[in-house]
Amino acid sequence: MAFDPQREDYQRLGLRFARSLDTSNPAEATRAFATFGRRFARERDTLPQSDGDRAFHLVATAAKHIDYELPFATDEEAENLIQHGHALLDEALQLDARCYDAMRMKAAADNPSFEAFFSFLTEGAEEVRRTCVEQRDHILANGESDERTLLAADIALRPYLRWIATQAEQALICGRNREAVRLTQVGLEADPHDSADMRFTAALAYAKLEDEQGLDALLLGPTATRGTRPANDPWTLLARLALAHKRYDLRAASDLLAELIRTYPHAAESLVRQIELPEGVFARLSVRPYSEDELVLALSEATVLLQEGRDPEGRGVLGVWLAGQAAQTLPRAVLQMLAEQAEANARAMGSSNQDGPR
Amino acid sequence: MNARDELIRRLAIKRRRQLGSLSTEAFEELELAVRENPSAFVEDAEEEAFALVAQALARLDESRHDDDLLDDEQFMQARAQRLARLEATCAQALSLDENCGDALLLQLLAADHSPDELVGRLLDLDARLEEACGPLATGATGDAWADVFSRPHLRVRAALARTCADTARFGMARSICEDLLTLAPFDHLGARLTLALTLARLEDEDGFEWLDVREGRKGNAWFHLSRALLMYKLGRMPAARRALNGYDRLCTGGAYILLQPIFVDTYLPDRPAFEPGSFLEATLAAHEAEPIIVDTPDFTWWASEQPGFYTSAIGYCERNGLDWRDPNAM
Repeated sequence: MAFDPQREDYQRLGLRFARSLDTSNPAEATRAFATFGRRFARERDTLPQSDGDRAFHLVATAAKHIDYELPFATDEEAENLIQHGHALLDEALQLDARCYDAMRMKAAADNPSFEAFFSFLTEGAEEVRRTCVEQRDHILANGESDERTLLAADIALRPYLRWIATQAEQALICGRNREAVRLTQVGLEADPHDSADMRFTAALAYAKLEDEQGLDALLLGPTATRGTRPANDPWTLLARLALAHKRYDLRAASDLLAELIRTYPHAAESLVRQIELPEGVFARLSVRPYSEDELVLALSEATVLLQEGRDPEGRGVLGVWLAGQAAQTLPRAVLQMLAEQAEANARAMGSSNQDGPR
Repeated sequence: MNARDELIRRLAIKRRRQLGSLSTEAFEELELAVRENPSAFVEDAEEEAFALVAQALARLDESRHDDDLLDDEQFMQARAQRLARLEATCAQALSLDENCGDALLLQLLAADHSPDELVGRLLDLDARLEEACGPLATGATGDAWADVFSRPHLRVRAALARTCADTARFGMARSICEDLLTLAPFDHLGARLTLALTLARLEDEDGFEWLDVREGRKGNAWFHLSRALLMYKLGRMPAARRALNGYDRLCTGGAYILLQPIFVDTYLPDRPAFEPGSFLEATLAAHEAEPIIVDTPDFTWWASEQPGFYTSAIGYCERNGLDWRDPNAM
């Protein structure tokens, strides 16, 4: 389960609304709560909310623009979405100076390099942790031990979990794989159920370090019960596949490739394409488990594994191998179409990138 | 690879086998005689094949002298011809001795396989030589390199280690290099250089320290660059700055070559000889480190931001009349 900003926005207001209801009259409360969905959608301002809630709503809207709409926008729309998104984040910070999600999302755009963004996250991490943990503990100490209190406590901690998950992802991108592993361990301690799916980032980092034991311990150790799914998510499969390829066990790598193709719809096409997506600025995009999108997302994050090493095509050693193997399973017409798409994309990239790549 | 010296040593040793035991002085005399006229001492197909390889390598060296005068297209043409000639000589050598390790290795390298393809072929070649000549062994001297007939196989191993590192197989590269250092502790082939970069990439600080101590902390372009990369990756920035500074001060043109990488051709069959502390040393180290540097995307940018580093690079460029390309235009 990744973090869905719209759902979290709904949960925050739902919790606050529920708290405002007269608990001495359950029938009345139930009736009032029945109106919540409609009011949330249409008359949001009539619902009780704190500045923090308002700020989070702006964050959720900005996340929708930047993470979910921007990838499909035309150049013109893109500029608007970005500007609007950033205005929303600025406003969120005016409402709530401790809106760490907004702070982090702004920094993702404001920092010119991976290195600078990573440093920013590292410097802020302790304050974010302290604040979020204090808020969570306050909620737990003052609430009844019911589901609502637990959810509110959970939500209070999430900005920290997103912060440290982003930090770990950035460490991975920066080539700081040990730090990525360490950060995911810290994150998993704070979030034993791994609601941020930090183990996916950890799996990629262990593969980079060629630490099979580390990966096994992560997936098979006492923490194996975390998460609600078996370890056949595409991150773990790609990590295992990379490890097999790295020890030149091409049989094992092919078996894992076959498992990916069996498990994920249109996997071979995705493996040939290897699209690189921008990382979600709010959090890893929320996609359905075992969907085509999930594999596309994992492949994009696995770029650090795919694009490493010398190869004549400049695509990376594992990237070329994967694409070549996957292509063998596809009919010629599909390959032709994929090649044409890739060419068109390269042309489009070339024309919009005349200043040259970084 | 100093093929001529190896040929002389091989021929002298084979002649000694015929003559029975010789004193050290007598053996030195014999070596001098072989040096005068090696071809007179070639007596079997194995040495005939090796002599062909030695000739081919000498020709290859000569043919490279004018490379600087060629434009890109001419260079690629000259290179293709050169490799085709080398390939043909290797085929000739192999018709004399099908297990001529250097001919087999050069043939593979000259074929311009992708590094990923090359790994598989080198693994096969390594297995083939092991079957034909037996496993590599340290021998009585404590260093497999001392047995001149083991050197072709050692070169295959070293090429395999480098190719593993080139294809992001760092675990394999590490274990092959560690084996090589056990088999041939004097490490004439520089497995420790590949290992230093590999340990940096694997962020294995203990391993790197062990290797650095083994080297007597003498340092060279590979070790300085590896340390800078390792510390950077571990986020130990003061140590990373110190290491980068050391690399800049101690490696001629090191700053320049890190910011302005240049084309380095395939090693045929092993890393070219270099003067310690020379620009060539820094060039080879930066070339071998390239995939690791690219994998650490902000490392060069960070290096160029460190006080004095960029100035040092520009200074070296100007003093030596070299090109400076805008990194954004590359």
